[in-house]
Amino acid sequence: MKAKDLRSSLEPVWCKGCGDFGVLKGLTSALADLEIAPERLAVISGIGCSSRLPGYTRSYAFNSIHGRALPIASGLKLSRPEITTIVVGGDGDGFSIGLGHIPHTVRRNVDITYAVLDNGIYGLTKGQASPTSTEDFKRDRGLAGRGERPLNPVLLVLSSGAGFVARTHAGNLPHLRSMMREAISYAGFSFVHILAGCVTYQGPQYGEAIYQRCDMLPPEYDPTDLGKAMEAAQAERFALGVLYRRPPDATPPWGSGDPATAEGIWPALGSAEAKRELPAQG
Amino acid sequence: MKPPAPAPATAVPPNRDLTAGPAHSLVLALVGSGGDGIALLGDLILAMAARQGLYGVMVQSYGPQIRGGESAAIVRISDREVQYEGDQADVLLCFRLRDLKRFQGSVRLHPGSVALLDREEAGELPDWLGTTQEEPYRFPFARFEDGIEVEGPPKNMLGLGLLCRLLGWPQALAEDALRQRFGDRRERMQANLEALATGLAADGVPSRPAPAGKGRGLFAETGNEAVARGAIAAGLKFFAGYPITPSSEVMETLIEELPATGGRVVQAEDEIAAMGMVLGASFGGVPSMTATSGPGLSLMTEMIGLSSMAELPSIIVDCQRAGPATGMPSRTEQSDLYHAIYGGHGDFPRVVLGVFDVVHAREVMVRAMTLSERFQLPVMVLSDAYIAQRRQIREAETSPRQAATRERWNETSGPARFDLSSAHGVNPFRVPGDVGGTYLAAGIEHNAEGYPTADTATHQLMNEKRFRKLTAIAEETRDAFRTLGEAGATRGLVAWGSSYGLLREWVVAHPEYRIFLPEMLHPFPLEAFTAWRQGLEWTGVLELSFQGQFHRYLSGLTDLRDVKSIARSGGTPLTASELDRYLSEATT
Ligand SMILES: Cc1ncc(C[n+]2csc(CCOP(=O)(O)OP(=O)(O)O)c2C)c(N)n1
Ligand code: SF4
Repeated sequence: MKAKDLRSSLEPVWCKGCGDFGVLKGLTSALADLEIAPERLAVISGIGCSSRLPGYTRSYAFNSIHGRALPIASGLKLSRPEITTIVVGGDGDGFSIGLGHIPHTVRRNVDITYAVLDNGIYGLTKGQASPTSTEDFKRDRGLAGRGERPLNPVLLVLSSGAGFVARTHAGNLPHLRSMMREAISYAGFSFVHILAGCVTYQGPQYGEAIYQRCDMLPPEYDPTDLGKAMEAAQAERFALGVLYRRPPDATPPWGSGDPATAEGIWPALGSAEAKRELPAQG
Repeated sequence: MKPPAPAPATAVPPNRDLTAGPAHSLVLALVGSGGDGIALLGDLILAMAARQGLYGVMVQSYGPQIRGGESAAIVRISDREVQYEGDQADVLLCFRLRDLKRFQGSVRLHPGSVALLDREEAGELPDWLGTTQEEPYRFPFARFEDGIEVEGPPKNMLGLGLLCRLLGWPQALAEDALRQRFGDRRERMQANLEALATGLAADGVPSRPAPAGKGRGLFAETGNEAVARGAIAAGLKFFAGYPITPSSEVMETLIEELPATGGRVVQAEDEIAAMGMVLGASFGGVPSMTATSGPGLSLMTEMIGLSSMAELPSIIVDCQRAGPATGMPSRTEQSDLYHAIYGGHGDFPRVVLGVFDVVHAREVMVRAMTLSERFQLPVMVLSDAYIAQRRQIREAETSPRQAATRERWNETSGPARFDLSSAHGVNPFRVPGDVGGTYLAAGIEHNAEGYPTADTATHQLMNEKRFRKLTAIAEETRDAFRTLGEAGATRGLVAWGSSYGLLREWVVAHPEYRIFLPEMLHPFPLEAFTAWRQGLEWTGVLELSFQGQFHRYLSGLTDLRDVKSIARSGGTPLTASELDRYLSEATT
């Protein structure tokens, strides 16, 4: 299977050089690596430049409303556990208007992957501050929220109790692809923080400048150590890699497991044979 | 203009049983303090009535504190089906006179009423209660030591014993009801049985024989239970909600009863998430719903627009309470009508149904499911606190109607997901898992494939397509209303929702009136309404909304000149005497 098998015919409207291209490529490559058929895949988003992504995938795609992709994905996954469900979006969508849904999706351990393209700005609405914009950036650009400290999304998701947390950069495609692959394979809620810049409202150099502040986690890093992960999340520089991976829970996460036996599947949906044809996904 | 078609026959023949003469019924008002177990007493009496094949209804009222305050239950038992508790009590059981004050307006006596009071209560019955010519019957409910009340036998069980004597009900019936309720909780049972026997052994208890039952068992449920069970019968498989008075028992009932049918229930973090989950499950092809009250409905509004735009079936049950903002959470009102019909930004089709009573609450869910699944849009079901919290005796449902399911796409059937040419605006639904069926569902305006567009011509055509659903629905639901009264009556009342229970009985005593009650509030059965209005000399629109939302809504649909609005804020349901007063003011 190729990444392009999971692309729709629609041409992206993103600005040339936007990090969203990397996310699209990395996500579809990872899904192809895992041999996920389009009909078994749902890609769900809220609203924003990054939230346009589902439309560019060949999948059961849903471009919903601002900040609400997680509950929608939860409803789908809880009632159709056999569908691989991915949520994508921006930092405004996820960490501002939609923030309240994150800890609840985490504590339900819904078996979905949540990938946020964090460019520290509102792209779609033309350059307002986001909860992850730095104080320097807001001061330089005269944006609202000076004196308001930025939010640390990785720390927030870790402290909410997520079982899988990774960070990557939209400019490093092989890394992004492998992080997505690992996240999707994880049985339980997984979170991928994707750093990027917005070429239009931050300038073409911004993404690269962020990348210069990133380091790969060293090979000896132990991702099962939550304390270390919390430390790495608070470091001055951005650590890239799997920051935390908890061994999967004894009780399977909501919306995971063998679709033929998972409770609560709508019985009328597809025959037992149809379900068996579908390879069980973690 | 084509002449109005004759009104189609109503689905349920109106008040056939009542026209045979007034029901033989008894109204018991039970008043106590929190902890006296008034609600339990009411439940038991209702259960005993149902057991004998009697009908009845129980409404409850609390003081301002939800726990520990005063509490009252009004129980009416009858030999016919009733949805209205009446506004005069035949029997008043009151443990402490000062608890009565809180229920001024909802409890009244008539000259033949009898009051059962505590022997130590020296005070007189207050004037507002109405006068009775009967001497109160006094009984030592409370136990005192040195002038201070101490714990004694449970007052509600003493009361139950007295009421059994008064109604002429055998001890065994009460004992059975207690056993049903408490099962193996032995200690409690013993104390209860003893107190019951004490009450039953009392001397000189006045007699108010209960009507004779049919002998075969009926059963009692609340409006919220009925909504939940109706939804299950209609094929519900996914529910997400957030607790809110007076709707929470819909979720609580589903937590108990939905999983056994292969469905799932989630208590979401808020109403936005609840509605989001409903849409996610619906996107997955699964019949889904939520239930809430005003504040939750406000939060769900953006999502309801999404449901319509992305063409995802959903059901939203709104148990209306007095608003705005927090309003009066446990009190009834009919003031979410505007929100249901007009709420939300942009133009989008949705269906709004009204619930008449507990029996109808089950039926209406089947219609809601059929319409949402077939037409792939949000359907709002407006219940209210009065129906939601009321317990009503009904016939057991023998064969619930099945709801229709959504038309499923397959590779050979397939127009594009949002094909513009479909006759009723509906295309077969593509369910994740369907090979070759992938598409984009979007809240953003989209073309036939679901892909985003800002083309104004497409926007216009898409709106036309989506609104074609309403035209088809209006056609299909032309008979979704009820009428009461005789065809020749020259005065008309238009009402909706829970007013049905009162009006059904009231009209029997007022043959000069006939009544029109739509089940479909939107789209409105206008043709039938127009036909029904022929020959009326006076018409009023009756509702519990300060602004008269229903009256104003109707004025937007048809010429309502000379039609009076009879509207007040909610709080308490309308009573017969109040309605008589309003009408005598409005018609003179
Ligand atoms: C309820 C609501 N409020 C505001 C908006 C306007 N809005 C659309 S996208 C967006 C923020 C976009 O920023 P982000 O989520 O970071 O995504 P990006 O465009 O940067 O990818 C806002 C505020 C909206 N669509 N809905
Ligand atoms: S505005 Fe920024 S975030 Fe949006 S597409 Fe352009 S570069 Fe990407």
